[in-house]
Amino acid sequence: MMSGSEVWLTIIGLTAVTVVTRNTFLVLGHRVTLPERVQHALRYAPACALVALIVPEVVLQSGALSVGLGNPKLVASVVAVATLLLTRRAVAAIGLGMLGFTLVRLL
Amino acid sequence: MTGRSVFGTDPTVAAVRREAFMRGARATAPALVATSIWGLVTGVAMIKTGLTTAQALAMTLFVYAGSAQMAALPLIAADAPVWVVLLTALVVNLRFILFSATLWPYFGRMPLFRRLGLGYITADISLAIFMTRYGNAPVDQRGNTEQVWYLLGSSGATWLSWQPASILGILLAGLIPGHWGLEFAAILALIAITVPMFQGRPAVAGCVTAGAVAVLAAAMPLKLGLLLAVLAGMAVAMAADALVERSTGGTAT
Repeated sequence: MMSGSEVWLTIIGLTAVTVVTRNTFLVLGHRVTLPERVQHALRYAPACALVALIVPEVVLQSGALSVGLGNPKLVASVVAVATLLLTRRAVAAIGLGMLGFTLVRLL
Repeated sequence: MTGRSVFGTDPTVAAVRREAFMRGARATAPALVATSIWGLVTGVAMIKTGLTTAQALAMTLFVYAGSAQMAALPLIAADAPVWVVLLTALVVNLRFILFSATLWPYFGRMPLFRRLGLGYITADISLAIFMTRYGNAPVDQRGNTEQVWYLLGSSGATWLSWQPASILGILLAGLIPGHWGLEFAAILALIAITVPMFQGRPAVAGCVTAGAVAVLAAAMPLKLGLLLAVLAGMAVAMAADALVERSTGGTAT
């Protein structure tokens, strides 16, 4: 665990990271013109970024690929995605997902 | 309406702003419960990592970037050098640079401080919701009052569902046993936010690619695999877009 002052330094640094990344082009945009194609491609960025954050958390167990019924996170995620596609209800998806996660872990 | 309000003193302008703000907030409503759960779990995780209440409150209120916070916590626990934590968070947050490029054609001409404020509070969900609504807005209408306040409504609703939940998580963390596996609820919440973005075959193709590359490149240092995955996903989505346009006889070349 970091010392208290290191944690505070990290929090200040992380705040700077948020401010800088969320504003990079909003502040510097007039120096660069993005081609229409690039602007179009950027529309796919949010979904791709979120999927890239989620999938490794679900299918990797301590660095190794785990894609079977024995992986509670995978079973729960499949339940959640199916619930979302069928009902479009986020709360039901998270609730059923956690239920699936707990059941597979207990069995 | 009399007196000052956040929407301004001019009744006509205030009505336009209020209406757009409420529309933005309503469009975001389906994602708000998931955002709250994600915020709650992040709050709990900060305390479980060993942060003090003051540190955790400062982190949620100022950093306001859940995925970067979650990436930073194990490194803080492992006593990693501060610069390694910051560099990792930077890579996780690189997608925001792409988002800011998306927002530039709309809000690039606003006064600097308003631009900074708008950029700071706009995260994944609001950007996706804004682009779903105004992605095809005519160039001469980009960044008008309606669009500014629509984005503010979406970002404001997200902020209001994240912060109280995160603070609640910080305060209640001591009461939640570790073996419940509550951290995983954060992933399910992210899934609930992401699935509605799977609209159209190019988006799905891009997302499948991004997921596969993220797994293959997971061992890369500083979470660089994430960046690689996003770029690969965007490239495949664009290629799929071109295929769809050709098969439907679209106008684009």
